[in-house]
Amino acid sequence: MCLPLLGAAQGNGPGVRGGRAAALGNASVTLADVWAVGNNAAGLGVLTRPEAAVYADNRFLIPEFGNAALAAALPLGKQPAGSTATAAPHGVVGVELQRFGGKLYNEQRAGVGYGYRLGLFSVGARADVLQVRIEGLGSRRAVALSLGGQAEVIPQKLTFGAYLYNLNQARLAEYQAERVPTVLKAGLSYRATPKVLLLVETEKDVEQAADFKAGLEYQVVEALALRAGVATLTEQMTGGLGLRFGRARLDYAAAWHNALGLSQHISVSLRLEPKTEAAP
Amino acid sequence: MRRLGKWVRQNRAGAWLLAALLSAVGALPARAQVQDYPRQRPDLDRLMQELFAEPQSDQVPYEDLYETLLQYLQTPLNLNTATREELTGLLLLSQPQITALLEHRERNGALLSLYELQSIDELDLRTIYRLAPFATVGEPSGNAVRGPLWQRIRQEDNNALFLRYERVLEERKGYTAPTLNSNGTASSRYLGSPDKLLVRFRTSHARDFSVGLAAEKDAGEQFAWSPSTRRYGFDYYSAHLGLFERGQLKAVIVGDYQLQFGQGLLLSSGLQVGKGAETITTLRRSNLGIRPYTSVLESSFFRGAAATVAPAPGWRLTGFASLKRVDATLRSALADSLEEETTDFASGLLLTGFHRTASELRNRRSLREGVVGGNVSFAPAGSQLSLGLTAVGTTFGQPLQRRPEPYNRYEFGGRQNLAVSAHYSYGWRNLSLFGETARSSSGGLGTVNGLLASLGSDVDAAVLYRHYARNFHTLYGNAFGENTRNINESGLYLGLKLRPVARWELSAYYDQFRFPWLRYQVSAPSRGYDWLVRVAFSPTKTSQLYAQVRTRQKAYDADDVRPMPEPVPTLRRSLLLFYDTNPTPILSLRTRLQGTHHRQHLGPRRTGYLLAQDVAVQPLRTLRLSARYALFDTDDYDTRQYAYEQDVLYAFSVPALAGRGTRVYALAEYKMGRHVTVWVRYASTTYRGQQTVGSGLEEIQGPQRSEVKAQLRLTL
Repeated sequence: MCLPLLGAAQGNGPGVRGGRAAALGNASVTLADVWAVGNNAAGLGVLTRPEAAVYADNRFLIPEFGNAALAAALPLGKQPAGSTATAAPHGVVGVELQRFGGKLYNEQRAGVGYGYRLGLFSVGARADVLQVRIEGLGSRRAVALSLGGQAEVIPQKLTFGAYLYNLNQARLAEYQAERVPTVLKAGLSYRATPKVLLLVETEKDVEQAADFKAGLEYQVVEALALRAGVATLTEQMTGGLGLRFGRARLDYAAAWHNALGLSQHISVSLRLEPKTEAAP
Repeated sequence: MRRLGKWVRQNRAGAWLLAALLSAVGALPARAQVQDYPRQRPDLDRLMQELFAEPQSDQVPYEDLYETLLQYLQTPLNLNTATREELTGLLLLSQPQITALLEHRERNGALLSLYELQSIDELDLRTIYRLAPFATVGEPSGNAVRGPLWQRIRQEDNNALFLRYERVLEERKGYTAPTLNSNGTASSRYLGSPDKLLVRFRTSHARDFSVGLAAEKDAGEQFAWSPSTRRYGFDYYSAHLGLFERGQLKAVIVGDYQLQFGQGLLLSSGLQVGKGAETITTLRRSNLGIRPYTSVLESSFFRGAAATVAPAPGWRLTGFASLKRVDATLRSALADSLEEETTDFASGLLLTGFHRTASELRNRRSLREGVVGGNVSFAPAGSQLSLGLTAVGTTFGQPLQRRPEPYNRYEFGGRQNLAVSAHYSYGWRNLSLFGETARSSSGGLGTVNGLLASLGSDVDAAVLYRHYARNFHTLYGNAFGENTRNINESGLYLGLKLRPVARWELSAYYDQFRFPWLRYQVSAPSRGYDWLVRVAFSPTKTSQLYAQVRTRQKAYDADDVRPMPEPVPTLRRSLLLFYDTNPTPILSLRTRLQGTHHRQHLGPRRTGYLLAQDVAVQPLRTLRLSARYALFDTDDYDTRQYAYEQDVLYAFSVPALAGRGTRVYALAEYKMGRHVTVWVRYASTTYRGQQTVGSGLEEIQGPQRSEVKAQLRLTL
């Protein structure tokens, strides 16, 4: 029983968000898109347009190991018309709703994140309200706080990212002091050529062995990206593709676990038209 | 030329080469037709380190691979006639580089000089330096202009006779007088002397002919003339005569030969690297067809005849037949009272090639093996498509029946095996797709498929999937895999090679595999992974620094006593730091630091360590001296250390070092005139706190084991 859980998610951990991250072996700490709300809130800082996204995954083809999430991001502050700024003047706020599990065991979460970009640096923070429910045992609630940062070490080329999930070490149950995992992730992304992005990342849960992850994204053409990745701790190899149709993006990923088999991830995101009026 | 100028501006070293070329052309206008690049001594040691990540055992026939590279060295590949497959077979060029070279040849005609390679954009200077010792630019004209065959063979400069002698200096138990066992029989001893002897002759001309002969006696083997036991002096002989490019007859070899088709799933010759620090170019195997065999590995070759014809452009038909005797342990089935006669069967094939004791001699060449087969390949000229079909049928004199252990459940048994396969390869833009799928008569399927992609000028990626069913039987195949044989395995490999900035190179792979059935010492289906990262930095043209980490996790039965054998994950992590520099043209220094840690599931962590310093000097043009001093300290045999050592030409050495101690060797190479070269080598390992070295018949009283080796090369 512990093996599937290890492979699935680190129960209440930061988890996987978005088909793009999933295809890259979940080496996602340096990514900057709407799913940064779950992967590293600092990545929200680069968004200049409102964006909404939906994500679903299924682990090892087991129906109870399904995960679904909804996310939205909203840049704050007025963008001058025709602006080419790379960041919103007052940062970006993101919200996320997520549910994992089936009837017997499930986890729910509501999170609010905020990312702000200043020059080559971005910082972010996030608060989660987590609820774990086990049939017959009732449910528990906890609040987890997270912090993240991203920095362009070599502009446009090399980016460093770090994310600390649940720094307050939220407690779920008195019994054996069961806590929400505290996880620190740090990684680099390297744009080897305009079409190739390489990522490496290490992730350490206080109570688990360290995971090393790596991903490769190849932008074949404007509309199509191919991705591959590995994660050593969970012995998973991943692959996937991303499609872009105008303002919409679709990302699909398949992950192969050496013992447990196939997992699938899909996400769709939609960028809204620029607004001339400031959002509240 | 404009492009060349731009290139020169970017690369100062290249500019020097180019300046050298231009001045040479200016100085020798009459000979400017084919400008010879002064052939450099190839750094085989370094090349081997680049191809193999880390030697894992002394069982792997590295020698065979080494041999192939040396063959290219002796008969360099003519870049003006080389096919895509031949260029791939060199393992030094990526697919886009090969395409660029072929296109260059197409556009501008034959290369005039190796220097011309610099004008091909895709070929960087480092690649050219690596390639140069193995390649040449000859005239693409036919052989007929050089006179009749016997004259060509007689006049060929490229011939060499090797005589090699080798011996361990200390007395080993196998050479002492036999003692009596408890049941009154004399204990087993080696029958022959501790000298190892090798005689070898080879002469060849690329795309024309190849003649070779080899004879070997291993240490402990006897010189004996005894036709009844099929012994005629030396223990092992090999010979071949091969002719190439005779119109429609592309190749014919009589004698010992090797075959390589497709991805090597059914037929694969020596050039198989597998997982190494060269994470991209070594994945794809090439369709090399029939190749001569003169190696002294006493297995993995065919004996008989093979021929390839080209009935129509793009088509190749190969047929071969082989009949030889192989080493096997023969058993007699227990006589059943109801059966009239006992049936003999072979319980296993032996590949070591040692025939030193009475029991080894009994198994020597005891099983008849006949192989027939063929290949049809279609590769239209000017396209990057290649398709083919291969069939290999094997018949043994006695049925093969392995020991009835659970892990042998799906192994090959019986007298006959027929395997057929289809292979393909296709190149498109920056992609190269290849694969082979085979079925053996047991019904088992094997497939290996890969994709190489050049994602940018500085980024290469590869992915390879293989699946070899537990009942897939390929007896001469050696396609990519974690196991040494292609059976009971499936896996997925991802490789990456990156040159982020000039002088730096990063290569990495991650491979994940599963063994759906039991294996030797693994009593349950198991899985594992293996990854490697190497960062190489070349601060100058003559120095190189690299760091490498390799981690491999596989399951093995737990060492501790359990009611049932149970495989547990076993992790092995190795680190290697290597620095190589030539401070002056005559001096070369090399430092190697390597360490391993090995841990069985939750067990204790055991470590191994090795630090080696090499020095090589060339005080005279004709004399080269090299030496190593190394210290090693390992907790046990699992953390033993392997390090390549320089050896006499064509020999290969990677001793396993376990325990605590020192290892030294010294090697001298002296060129006595144009026709004679002599090598002498002394190597010794001294162990601390050990009363004996080795075990069984190899046991030595005392803490030291040393060996001498001498080799003579005569060019006739």
